[in-house]
Amino acid sequence: MAKSEGGMRILQGLLVFGNVIIGMCGIALTAECIFFVSDPHGLYPLLEATENDDIYAAAWIGIFVGFALFALSILGIVAVIKSNRTLLLVYIILMLITYAFEMASCITAATHQDFLTPNLFLKQMLERYLKSETDNNNDKWMTEGVTKTWDKLMLQNQCCGVRGPSDWQEYTSAFRKMYNDADYPWPHNCCVMNDQGSPINLDGCKLGVPGYYNNNGCYEAISGPMNTHAWGVAWFGFAILCWTFFVLLGTMFYWSRVEY
Amino acid sequence: VRGYSRGSALSTAPPTPWLLATDNIPTMRKPVLASSILGGRITTSTFVLEQPRCSFTGLQDDTVIWLVVALPEAVANFSNNVKPGGLGREFQKFPHSTLAYMTLNTTILNYPCNKNSRDITVLRVGSETRCAKDESRPTCNGPLPGPGPYQVKFLALNGSEPVAQTNWSDPITLRKAQPSSSISLMDSRHSGSMIALTAILSILFAILLAGLVTMLLWGSDTRGVSSTFSKPEAVTVRRYNTHHVYDQTAARL
Repeated sequence: MAKSEGGMRILQGLLVFGNVIIGMCGIALTAECIFFVSDPHGLYPLLEATENDDIYAAAWIGIFVGFALFALSILGIVAVIKSNRTLLLVYIILMLITYAFEMASCITAATHQDFLTPNLFLKQMLERYLKSETDNNNDKWMTEGVTKTWDKLMLQNQCCGVRGPSDWQEYTSAFRKMYNDADYPWPHNCCVMNDQGSPINLDGCKLGVPGYYNNNGCYEAISGPMNTHAWGVAWFGFAILCWTFFVLLGTMFYWSRVEY
Repeated sequence: VRGYSRGSALSTAPPTPWLLATDNIPTMRKPVLASSILGGRITTSTFVLEQPRCSFTGLQDDTVIWLVVALPEAVANFSNNVKPGGLGREFQKFPHSTLAYMTLNTTILNYPCNKNSRDITVLRVGSETRCAKDESRPTCNGPLPGPGPYQVKFLALNGSEPVAQTNWSDPITLRKAQPSSSISLMDSRHSGSMIALTAILSILFAILLAGLVTMLLWGSDTRGVSSTFSKPEAVTVRRYNTHHVYDQTAARL
């Protein structure tokens, strides 16, 4: 019995170690998801207007799952050290439930990231930026969000449109309905601004002289943070789940070896 | 009417005039579009030409340069003698009832020929929006009403007398905007990494559930000291034959 006793001790040690890692990863996941939900780049209105903001739902689930993982890891450590069958069973079942939720969050984040293509944001920008007639309150809210976000994006990142200023020429838009092409080939926020917030040379901007207007597109400024967000939630969660899988298998084996 | 100057050098070759049969006025080389580094060179209602510097030589200082914008079908029969803004030359009626109009109205002094100038000298056709609907301004440089094509030329008038012109330009076609509803969103399909993630996680979760079921069934089967009591064995008591016992003790005595 001594050999299996030593083996059990090793298994106990491994399980405690595994749970410590799970607890730390849980805290890291919560912190990461809080960071994403706080939307430091101010891109949430764009997602909200696509009516497809599930990567934010995935991040919210991640916050709670991370916290649950931390709490359950403490329960797990206590259960393993006390070798209590009931506690271990409770731990396993609650961990499986948390596992299911985190799985949902990862899959959601990974799936919805595939929807975030340049065409999606292009179509949304053309249809909503500076749209003047809005149908209802919801439409008005989304339009205002999109307009404010794009204005901020174009000013802060010195960019214009999704692929470039030619977006405004190649397609009709709500902007074009309100502002004629000769005076505004592209929005004024595409012009290089001085410190007071007005274009340094409006004619140069309208003509498209390099140096007086922003020639590059804003897609990198949008997709960079969003891809980081989606990948952070999906793949960090995946890594945690892979580790948790082994810890849970070990715990199940341990449970079946524990005597009352 | 806007001209604009900035930046890099513009090379100009001396013009080679030749005589036009009908008008007998010097005809210079045709107008060209501005350099393609300008992002707004052609938009849906404007386009940008190079200014006619160094195109006209030997003209008096009070000569006025006009820009003629015409539909290609009006080029063949175009008459230089119609007054700018006169009948058949109103911008506001272009292109429905007039096939050409004239605009610009700038003296030749505005286009000096500086061979060493490093400026970009351009002329934006279609920049005046305020007079576009004002019938009292038939020489308005208003936005072009459609994608064209259009042909342009410069005409130098002294009073009302044509004194020089350029050749007609190549046909200029403006940009045509497609409807934004035509942008296709069908190109987003599931990436390989997402499918791999979903598959792996599902398999792991299935293994865990199977492990849980196995654990509950098998773990409570063996070592079931307190969970399931096995049926107690029937107690067997050996029957001693009392007769034998007495016989044995009697045999020892």
